[in-house]
Amino acid sequence: MTHLTRRSFVGTAALLAAPALIRPSFAADTVKLGCLFSSSGTMANLEGRLNHVVRMAADELNGRGGVNGRQIEVVTSDPASDWPLYAQVGRQMLQQDKVAALFGCWTSVSRKSVLPVVEQNDGLLFYPLHFEGDENSKNVVYVNSPPASSVLPAVDYLMGPDGVGAKRFFMIGSDYVWPRTINKQLKGYWTSKGIPESAWREEYVPFGFSNFQTLVNQVRSFASQPGGQAIVVLTVVGSSIPDFLREFANQGISATDVPILGLDMVEADLEGLDTGKLVGHLNCWAYLQAAKGERNQKFLADWAAYVRAKNVPFSADTVIDPMVSAYDSVHLWALAAAKAGSFAVPEVRKAFAGLSFDDPSGYTLTMTGENNYVSRGVFIGSVNEKRGFDVLWQSPDAPKPAPFSPYG
Amino acid sequence: MADPKRSLLRAVLALCWLGLWAVPSSAAAFDRAAFAQDLCGDGAAQVRGVEGFVKAGGVLPAHDLAYAGRLLGALAERRLTCPADGALLLDRPGAPEGHDALTGAVRPVAEARAPVLGLRQRAAVETARGVVALLTGPDPATRGAGLSVVERRVASVPAAVLDRARDAETDAGLKATIAGLTQAAALSSPDPARRRAAIAAVAASPSGAAEARLTALKSDPAYTADPAFRAALDAGLSRVTRAVAIGDGLAVLYNGLSFASILFMAAAGLAIIFGLMGVINLAQGEFIMLGAYATYGVQEAFRRLAPDLLDLYLVAAIPVAFLAVALVGIVVEALILRHLYRRPLMSLLATWAVSLFLVNLVRVTVGTQNLQFIMPAYVSGGVPLYADFVVTWNRLFAIGFAAATVVLTLLILRRTPLGLDIRAVTQNRDMAACLGLPTRRVDRLAFGLGSGLAGLAGVALCPIYSVNPGMGSGFIVDSFMVVVLGGVGSLLGTLVAALGVGGANVLIEPISGAVAAKVIVLVGIILFLQRRPEGLFAVRRRR
Repeated sequence: MTHLTRRSFVGTAALLAAPALIRPSFAADTVKLGCLFSSSGTMANLEGRLNHVVRMAADELNGRGGVNGRQIEVVTSDPASDWPLYAQVGRQMLQQDKVAALFGCWTSVSRKSVLPVVEQNDGLLFYPLHFEGDENSKNVVYVNSPPASSVLPAVDYLMGPDGVGAKRFFMIGSDYVWPRTINKQLKGYWTSKGIPESAWREEYVPFGFSNFQTLVNQVRSFASQPGGQAIVVLTVVGSSIPDFLREFANQGISATDVPILGLDMVEADLEGLDTGKLVGHLNCWAYLQAAKGERNQKFLADWAAYVRAKNVPFSADTVIDPMVSAYDSVHLWALAAAKAGSFAVPEVRKAFAGLSFDDPSGYTLTMTGENNYVSRGVFIGSVNEKRGFDVLWQSPDAPKPAPFSPYG
Repeated sequence: MADPKRSLLRAVLALCWLGLWAVPSSAAAFDRAAFAQDLCGDGAAQVRGVEGFVKAGGVLPAHDLAYAGRLLGALAERRLTCPADGALLLDRPGAPEGHDALTGAVRPVAEARAPVLGLRQRAAVETARGVVALLTGPDPATRGAGLSVVERRVASVPAAVLDRARDAETDAGLKATIAGLTQAAALSSPDPARRRAAIAAVAASPSGAAEARLTALKSDPAYTADPAFRAALDAGLSRVTRAVAIGDGLAVLYNGLSFASILFMAAAGLAIIFGLMGVINLAQGEFIMLGAYATYGVQEAFRRLAPDLLDLYLVAAIPVAFLAVALVGIVVEALILRHLYRRPLMSLLATWAVSLFLVNLVRVTVGTQNLQFIMPAYVSGGVPLYADFVVTWNRLFAIGFAAATVVLTLLILRRTPLGLDIRAVTQNRDMAACLGLPTRRVDRLAFGLGSGLAGLAGVALCPIYSVNPGMGSGFIVDSFMVVVLGGVGSLLGTLVAALGVGGANVLIEPISGAVAAKVIVLVGIILFLQRRPEGLFAVRRRR
């Protein structure tokens, strides 16, 4: 081995690292779409899938001749679950790669970090996650639901006679903007229903936290106090979700004792868990894998075929809401671009009004000219033995999204 | 969704059903068809049917209980499907044909719907299944499992069921538990003597829930009127409160010990590598991850070659993970680190590169999803030990594992020639070399030992954390914290530091929250290192 000097080492390292950040592309006659999803760090297992879904949707469109006569080319990156890096990579994609639209972010903190970048550069970010609302930028398309059309119906269900008649609430979240805002709105909502402050508790943990023993002990003692049925509203994200569920089950608490409403809980979080003891816990999304209908069957089959064909390092049998939402995003963008006959952001944005798309969930997605929100259906899912969710309840139609919450 | 004809039919059926149960339940025969129809109905019908069944459970004949048990089990496991007429029991969810619930005839499943249980319905079904198991279970274990379900929801189970179970019970232990339960159920009985007995029975199995139940009685008029009641309640309450406090104390101790064991397992290898060679090994977390993946490999090998012994894979993985990761460590040392011993900054960068390489290698070859582990009984679930204190097996496994690691590592370091060499090189590298010790070879073996310990940590963490390529990155900061606090090069120091950091975290967490706990512990460590930069137990060495 040759003698390595510090300079040569750093130089080599920089050379090696450069292409990893952004995979450039040189083809002409294409239009580029950028992906801002991490394939490393705490969000990797979830966000990583979305890169492939965007590619799959792009392939589908390319197979039909592309958009406005141009083939779509997908540019991917790895912001490494490092929130400021999302902004940096996003800027690079908008300014250097000249992408027509960005598809990205899972956590709200990463979206907030990209927000100024897309606003300065007048870009377009399609955000596929349900989130805390209270934001309305003309440069972000909120493809998934704000709380009024996802969280509140689920909490209502749990408080109602069909659920458990919940009276007391233990909120556990990762310490960042989404859980804190959601919990603030929930507290406002409960106050408006006349529920006293003593009926809830709020705890936060750092990102990637995994030692949930003490918190689960606290949940047990909270639940045994008088005052009515307690539930857990879980807003931890990433790898904390399976770790929490495992500890919860191991301490012998079942869903019929204290149900968990996991707001960020998806099918992928149950991978690697023995869900026999977790049956009955709930989540709420705009899509569940168990959704009925031909369109969903087709999507599941397409994804499985894509995974096998492209050797994608993710499960062929697991499809989660943000994947479908990312898929919808690409199609919504393509519909708008085709309607506008242009890839320029202001034109595309104008074309959003009146757009509709039949997505795999079975609902018809629609957009109005009022804002960049998309109306989606609401599902409440219940964990089953097979590491999936059964559909417990679904809304009759897709409610109109309300960006700003009246509850704080 | 609602077909008007079906819902009309359902309403009529529900009415008939209501009519049936309006007459005293003991007199009415169990209507099997109506029960099946209710289970196939909407949420309200399900709850009504199941709760009606539980109410009548004390007098139903055994064959009706068994019938209901079959249906309820099928409903809970989604093996019950509902065609337009009657109900079908499937052998497995999604089977193409099933047995008719009433006649037992095999019929194809066409256009049938499998009801999903809501939470309220699920609770009712669980209770009802518990009642069936308690009353008809063939062996004490089944009846005991049923009893533990009934115990949790004793308020919704009529006394007749408990009385019947107690009279029929042959197992003395179970009989006593059921008797205690019936006694405790009399908490609001009009007879003062029975009430006092009930208080004593509730206090006999202390828990947070028992405490809440007894505390609620303090507002009962009898508390001020009846001194005997008051004395009984105060005595019972103080007994429960004390027990709950002790249980909570034990829980804190256990949580602290468990967290400490994880910290120690993660840091033990680093203590040797950092202590001996001064190499800041940033790939240590990834070595832990490799250990977990080696465990997965062993599991898969067992699944293919010896499915009967699958439960033992965790034990078999111990040597495999140790050797595999030790080998990786030795290769890394031989290829990269040995050239960088005199340059700590370079070795830091190089090990960081190794960690990135390993993460991405695993990601590309295996994938980023969480690995699916089969959790044998000895690492899943838990057992309530005292009051609210639950011992979870996976954590106990990690604690035992860490304890064994401490002992074995100390034995290696103190009692073997390799250990002697390692200690000599740690204390004075140049002198050891002068005395003829092959310090480079010792380095390599020590690096292998340290890596192997990280591999062991991977085995111990499998039942606790999710295993994916990124799992190692979370450990590196914590393990350095522990090693530096304990004193570089001292395994005992690492142990004490892990106990201290784990205990402090667990103690502070309930008071100030998990986020602040982490900050407070970090600030504490910084302040401590300001006063004592060499850590808790410093090894004297000559530079």
